[in-house]
Amino acid sequence: MSSQSSAAGRIHGLLLKLHELLSDEDSRGAALKCHDIIGDLGQECMLTPTENELGLLIVSSFFSLASHSSLLFGKQGESPYNRSTYRYTPLLAWLLTPNIYLNMVFGKILFIVCDVLSGLLIYRILCLRGLSSETARRFSSLWLLNPLPMGVSSRGNAESILAALVLGTLLCMEARRPTGAAVLYGLSVHMKIYPITYALPIALTLRTPETRAEEDRKSWKLKRLLTFIGSFLNRELLLFASVAGGVFCALTALFYYIYGWQFLHETYLYHLTRRDIRHNFSPYFYMLYLTADSRWSQSLGLAAFLPQLTLLLIASWAFHRDLAFSCFLHTAIFVSFNKVCTSQYFLWYLCLLPLVIPHLSLSVKQGLGLLLLWFAGQGIWLGPAYFLEFEGYNSFLLIWLAGLLFLVINCFILIQIITHYKQTPQRLKAE
Amino acid sequence: MEGNFGDENQDHCDVLKQWLQSSSVSVELSKKGFHREVITTVELKSDVLSDVRVLLVHRWPRGVYVDPYQLASLSDQRDWKILLDSTIDLELPAHKASGFVTYVYPSHIGPTPRSLKVTIPVHGRYHEPSFVGETFTSVDIEAPELLLWTVQCTQLNTLQPHAVVDAPCTVSNSSTCQWVKIQHQQEFSPLRFQFPVGDASLVAPVCGGTLLVTMMCCAALSRYMWKHRII
Repeated sequence: MSSQSSAAGRIHGLLLKLHELLSDEDSRGAALKCHDIIGDLGQECMLTPTENELGLLIVSSFFSLASHSSLLFGKQGESPYNRSTYRYTPLLAWLLTPNIYLNMVFGKILFIVCDVLSGLLIYRILCLRGLSSETARRFSSLWLLNPLPMGVSSRGNAESILAALVLGTLLCMEARRPTGAAVLYGLSVHMKIYPITYALPIALTLRTPETRAEEDRKSWKLKRLLTFIGSFLNRELLLFASVAGGVFCALTALFYYIYGWQFLHETYLYHLTRRDIRHNFSPYFYMLYLTADSRWSQSLGLAAFLPQLTLLLIASWAFHRDLAFSCFLHTAIFVSFNKVCTSQYFLWYLCLLPLVIPHLSLSVKQGLGLLLLWFAGQGIWLGPAYFLEFEGYNSFLLIWLAGLLFLVINCFILIQIITHYKQTPQRLKAE
Repeated sequence: MEGNFGDENQDHCDVLKQWLQSSSVSVELSKKGFHREVITTVELKSDVLSDVRVLLVHRWPRGVYVDPYQLASLSDQRDWKILLDSTIDLELPAHKASGFVTYVYPSHIGPTPRSLKVTIPVHGRYHEPSFVGETFTSVDIEAPELLLWTVQCTQLNTLQPHAVVDAPCTVSNSSTCQWVKIQHQQEFSPLRFQFPVGDASLVAPVCGGTLLVTMMCCAALSRYMWKHRII
């Protein structure tokens, strides 16, 4: 008994020291001393005799650490949301604090590491989907040697972390490990909202499949509907939903406790009601700019959302048997039909493209033609946009037309991909 | 003794008056598009008093903004520091934003230099689309105020007609001092930025065209997705 209470006493003392340090003015020195104290804390927790107390101490130390870390970052009103355009999860800000204490380039190195990790995940997924090791390596080099993600990560954009999380989710699903997939999925939805669209194809994949004989026997519509709904209530799907939901809710609760309403607003609600009227790739940009303050603004926003929603539902149902393809289509449709579209969004579906390409029966010439068409669409938009922003010409109409053209090009490319997609991997057709 | 001190003070104030009469400010605008620069040149013609502090005050309209992060990253290469009087939302359109004030403090070491050149990068906000077919909207920039301060002259009311104003003493905004504002003799030509605006008279064709194209693309994609669905 006495050893337990003395261990508790030691831990209490360490926590008090930590609290003192975090109120220290010299944050750099404090951070280094905190590191030592946290190490001692961990040791104390490990050496405590009884299991119950160990569990309790670990849990309470974690929450204590979290709330004290909030002091570190909440000191003098410091929150990542003090920067007026910080619209992401505080987890990203926390991950990047070594930028201040260690070295300026830590963040960029982290993003580059995630890029390479994404390439490795692509390789593993391709192997699981039936490609030979050699072919899988060639296709994962489409991401690893691609200058676009290289450029984006080294400039300091955090998209690669999300790419790694989404690919990790897909790998776990391919390897039939729904728990791991659920944890990564919850984390990725916390970081950015768009992976929420993957929920429907994942649910359709995890539900109990109907056997052919059962399908033929059922002719009564209501019974078929009930069976359909009932097929969603199986163990794997409920496990996935609860783990993913649990991870998401835990993170949300933690950050709401630390940063309050501002966290909810900046990380989630802002993106849902976002009305950025400045020029961007979206076909809706000029329409939303002209109607920003009129009474039609709400209904037009809804009218812009309906095609997106319809296409996402159809894509889920039509391709849920091939999860990687379904996710690729989901993201490409989401980005192309979104009310705001900037070039960093393209990375969201580009990281899934190497998973789709091995199954395409397009020749290399056709593939390169589609790629050039995609770049041409961007170039046609960038011309008038440059003249508007940097030369002061009124090229709004041209930008609007270029945005519409870009949408048409994106749809054409997607239709080509859908038409030439085969479930069994195709070999690359050499010219 | 007190009389001597009063005389010294009077001398300093006379010299300050000379400064006030012989200093001049000129402004020019450069660059095009939504990202512009306002270049303010200050000429200080006096070689007697050397510890006079200079402050440039710009009052900006709602149609432009400055990026505090851009200014912070540029401050190493510049010999002046800037203080903003309010937080700036970078994304608001012009009719929802408000004007703001900037205070520019030269950060020289040693005596005040004869001439100062301050280049402030400003950015245009998006304005409301025009219902009358105008393609550009104008944003007028007021001329900056030049303020002087010296610790040695305390009888600032002898420096009429130059007004006395309150402003932060230094860029850290920890205290307020009384500065003397220079009354400009010359007339300033109006400084004007022109920014492109959308054409609200086209709202019907734009909405119609956008919704038509998006619905058609949606229909085409749906058809092909359903046709090639994986059963």
